[in-house]
Amino acid sequence: MISGRCAACKYLRRRCPSDCIFSLYFPPNDPQRFACVHRIYGASNVAKMLQQIPPPLRAEAAETLYFEARCRIEDPVYGCVGVISQLYEQLQSAESELAKTQAEIAVLNCNPQEAPIEANSNFNTLLAPFHSNFLV
Amino acid sequence: MGGNSPCASCKLLRRRCAKDCIFSPYFPSDDPHKFAIVHKVFGASNVSKMLQELPVHQRADAVSSLVYEANARVRDPVYGCVGAISYLQNQVSQLQMQLAVAQAEILCIQMQQEPAMPTTQMDPDDKSYFLHDNLPQYLNFASSSSNVIHDSLKRESIFGHDMVS
Repeated sequence: MISGRCAACKYLRRRCPSDCIFSLYFPPNDPQRFACVHRIYGASNVAKMLQQIPPPLRAEAAETLYFEARCRIEDPVYGCVGVISQLYEQLQSAESELAKTQAEIAVLNCNPQEAPIEANSNFNTLLAPFHSNFLV
Repeated sequence: MGGNSPCASCKLLRRRCAKDCIFSPYFPSDDPHKFAIVHKVFGASNVSKMLQELPVHQRADAVSSLVYEANARVRDPVYGCVGAISYLQNQVSQLQMQLAVAQAEILCIQMQQEPAMPTTQMDPDDKSYFLHDNLPQYLNFASSSSNVIHDSLKRESIFGHDMVS
């Protein structure tokens, strides 16, 4: 049971009613959490959004709102869309790297005679990520 | 052009559209839905404040990203954009695991083809060694320097889903 006002009501300088929509998700020991969300969405928008969500899902909704608000504060131009964009780039890069590596495997499997020449030129590059673990 | 008819924002807010209206370059009157959705999620005054704090040349991108986020939040009121982030992170992790396996396979093939290489320290057929010790490197490599990505990786265990917004 939370005694005293929640972080939202403290921030808004109002009485915290027993059925306060914010109190479960914005506890008084983390004032920055509500401050972030309020700065980006505003208290009334957050309240409306939470009210439209079934109670069992409100905690996750509050969490994602906080996450997105933090992204927006850290990156005022792109917010969490910047994160999505970076992930797409990583995805493309990983796909391309995987395709290249699978092609190398196909070459090694098909041309074992020629493999040592190619393998040596790529060997140190391939081995680099494993150095700290493999080479004692 | 914008001087005659109010922009979508001022139409929705039912106010006079000033010549220097901060919204008018980004919310033209022929696309009322764009401002409506941003206003619904963020609120007009918050959007105005955010745009005012940005240099003019960055405002168009900011509006685009706000519209994107607002659309994601309306489509998925619980997870918003975080649903897409979670899904993409899973995809990236899976691909990096596949990459690690493929690179381990290359090393194994090379070791089998070069028996002169020292193999006393490990079993060349044992690929699990590589996977176990190198996955964290790949996950760290995948994450950007932004604290947001690191935090969102931890949040995967909270949300634990792979829905696409």
